[in-house]
Amino acid sequence: MNWMFYIVAAITLIATVRVITHPNVVYALLYFVVSLLSVALIFYMIGAPFVAALEVIIYAGAILVLFLFVIMMLNFREEHETHWLRKRIWAGPGVLCAALLAVTIAFIAQGPMVSGFYRTIEPSEVGNALFGPYLIAVQLAALLLLSGLVGSSHLRRHERGSLLRKPEGGDSQ
Amino acid sequence: MNAAIEYWPFGVYVGAVVVVIAGKLLASHFLGERHRERVTGEAYESGILPTGTGRLRFSIKFFLIAILFVIFDLELVFIFAWAVAIHELGWPGFWGLMVFMGILTVGLIYEWRMGSLDWIPRRPANKRSRPSTLSSKPEPTR
Repeated sequence: MNWMFYIVAAITLIATVRVITHPNVVYALLYFVVSLLSVALIFYMIGAPFVAALEVIIYAGAILVLFLFVIMMLNFREEHETHWLRKRIWAGPGVLCAALLAVTIAFIAQGPMVSGFYRTIEPSEVGNALFGPYLIAVQLAALLLLSGLVGSSHLRRHERGSLLRKPEGGDSQ
Repeated sequence: MNAAIEYWPFGVYVGAVVVVIAGKLLASHFLGERHRERVTGEAYESGILPTGTGRLRFSIKFFLIAILFVIFDLELVFIFAWAVAIHELGWPGFWGLMVFMGILTVGLIYEWRMGSLDWIPRRPANKRSRPSTLSSKPEPTR
């Protein structure tokens, strides 16, 4: 159990350092995925499979889409996809991902934990806590998401006819 | 190693996935035809030839869609956490979730009325191209 944790923690550190130090954003993003996946595996190993699943779904799935969109909008350098498929590029994240997969298989193969120190938290327990004693926190999260919704709706230009009053604008797209 | 024996269907599933994908790739590698003609490299064969560079400026609306996706994805996570504990939570949990979803529905209605969900901007009133329900009304001056 312990040596697995140290391997995954080392993978997390390596991947995160590469995210920061890599000069190209697309490759940094690849390492970022590896970093998120290994953090998810750490959550899974300490007995929080629900949080691990959320880490993969929300961060590695949804938040990463936002990063990709930013790169799509801001990256105007002349590049070609064939440059991205060189072995030097995907070798690092590939090796780290393979190591993560190996640790995951070893962890699952050793069976359920019986240590007593760690206890696996089921998703239903998370739901019980969220909608029981922490209901206020859930509603505050709803307000936070609401502010995100309202803020995102002001990202784009508004033409006449929407609820937002503007002086004479006209569309010039 | 008990768990490894217990989860053998999962192993079979993973193996099946690998076999299917490798089979598809190998089959298309050996069976697919390879030729190099004048328009083979075109994106749309017998279509309109693409001109210009692919480095376009994308509209911010794409990013807006992504943000909306993330927000409602997170809403779904809370709904899932409620759904797996539905029997223990009972009616108080249900009403808690209703308040949660109500707050976000207010945000959705706001987005909708602001026109953030329209891909094409609404026509200005002076163009009279189509009788829009909202924009063709004479706006009161404030």
